[in-house]
Amino acid sequence: MKSAPFQVRSRVVEDAAVIYPQGYLNNLAGEGLVNECGRYTRSGVKKIVVNFRETDIINSIGISLLLHIMEDLQTAGGTLCFTDMSKVQLDVFEMLGLTKYFRFFPDENGALQFLNVREG
Amino acid sequence: MELKKALFNISALADLGEEITSEKNFREKLQSLLYVILGTFLASKGAITCQERSGDKIAFAARKGFDNLSLDNIDVAGIRAAVKNEPYSVNSDPALVKAGVQIVTPLWVRNEFIGTIMLSRKFTSEAYAPEDFELLRVIAHQVAITLNNRSLFMNLTEQLNDNRKLYEEMRKIYHDTLQAFAAAIDAKDVYTRHHSQRVARYSVAIARELGWSEHDIEGIYVAGFLHDVGKLAISNEILNKKTPFTPKEMEEVRRHSLLSYKIISHIKFPWKDVEKIVKHHHERPDGTGYPDALSRNDLSEGAKVLALADSFDAMTSKRAYRDKMDLREALDELSRCLNKQFDDKIMLAFCKVLDKEIRGDLPIPNILPHLDKDFDLSLITALLEGIIQELSDGNEKD
Repeated sequence: MKSAPFQVRSRVVEDAAVIYPQGYLNNLAGEGLVNECGRYTRSGVKKIVVNFRETDIINSIGISLLLHIMEDLQTAGGTLCFTDMSKVQLDVFEMLGLTKYFRFFPDENGALQFLNVREG
Repeated sequence: MELKKALFNISALADLGEEITSEKNFREKLQSLLYVILGTFLASKGAITCQERSGDKIAFAARKGFDNLSLDNIDVAGIRAAVKNEPYSVNSDPALVKAGVQIVTPLWVRNEFIGTIMLSRKFTSEAYAPEDFELLRVIAHQVAITLNNRSLFMNLTEQLNDNRKLYEEMRKIYHDTLQAFAAAIDAKDVYTRHHSQRVARYSVAIARELGWSEHDIEGIYVAGFLHDVGKLAISNEILNKKTPFTPKEMEEVRRHSLLSYKIISHIKFPWKDVEKIVKHHHERPDGTGYPDALSRNDLSEGAKVLALADSFDAMTSKRAYRDKMDLREALDELSRCLNKQFDDKIMLAFCKVLDKEIRGDLPIPNILPHLDKDFDLSLITALLEGIIQELSDGNEKD
């Protein structure tokens, strides 16, 4: 399967970081997402929102990378929220029994509200 | 849900296949395989290890986590004693238990131990289910084959490098032997010292200008070295004689090309027609050469190249019975003997390469370093240009 080039953008909203992976989360390039989250975690950010609106595919490699991010944030005592996931992606998380470990929101605002973050 | 899980497992196997057949470098490929495995089983940490090529130790080929695990401290013999490619729960190896390794799969291909897959507990803290063991067994086979293919490839590459090194060494010995032969030939006659070497290099220069392949160029180089080997069978008294040869002595000297041919015919050269080139290096296009009095059309290009290179060196070297010619005289003599003794196509190539060497157009000159430097360069260049023009015009008319 040919992968779309994977890119990561991010922005800071108050004490939270919102991260936008773009492309397929199905290969080593996805480590870019882990690194971006790690960068915020190391700088003391404990609220991270990952917005998947531009991510069509998450395969087994993607799952392992997301588990990595979750573990890092758990260790740091932070909270990870996922937003804008497709139904297929949500079904995979549900089937794997992961829904109780991650927080899912239909959109970014919902996640930010949950984290008590107000968009400036 | 069972169906969805089965589909996810199938999709994980597809991910595995895609990574195995990808064109990534091996390290990246293994890291991707490990991520596929971790994502499939939701394991937090994991490693793929490889059997080291020498010794019984294993080394990390890819890993996530297990930073405190030292492979030197684990019981590799115990892992090897387990059932091949069957995952098992770790409970008796303190080093593995301490590092958090929960599942080990020993990787085997036929009777060869390849390495392991090690997994930690699941992220969800659930126990590994029997279906997980089944799936891991299938994955283990694929990873083992991937590692084994890599190992085979490395062995082949190593063997290829060894063979290449051996070939280069043998080639050097071969050339050293040739040079020793040439030195023995040239040592018979104080006036022909280094003659064979120069003839070899001049021949190479002409052949390269003619557009020969590097393989064929090496062949003419060898022919140049060996062309006078038959002189070893001719008495020193004749070869070093300071007065002109008698007809009988001339007949004896002329035997050398046939003797050279007979001597080197016993050698199986990797190059085509070396012995024939050597045999015919005193043949002439006008059919008055020896030993077979061949005509122009029967002469190989190699024999024509060697004939010109040999004569040019003879002209520009001192002999017992005459002084050497300077470069201009030698070029005049070659021109005078065109079509009778020398082929014009070979002469054209010779003049072109000499012209290039004088102009400094060639990185490694083969002819110029062996000539006296007392000639007027502009005069020689003009002379060469004239010959080149004349021969080029002649070739166009043909």
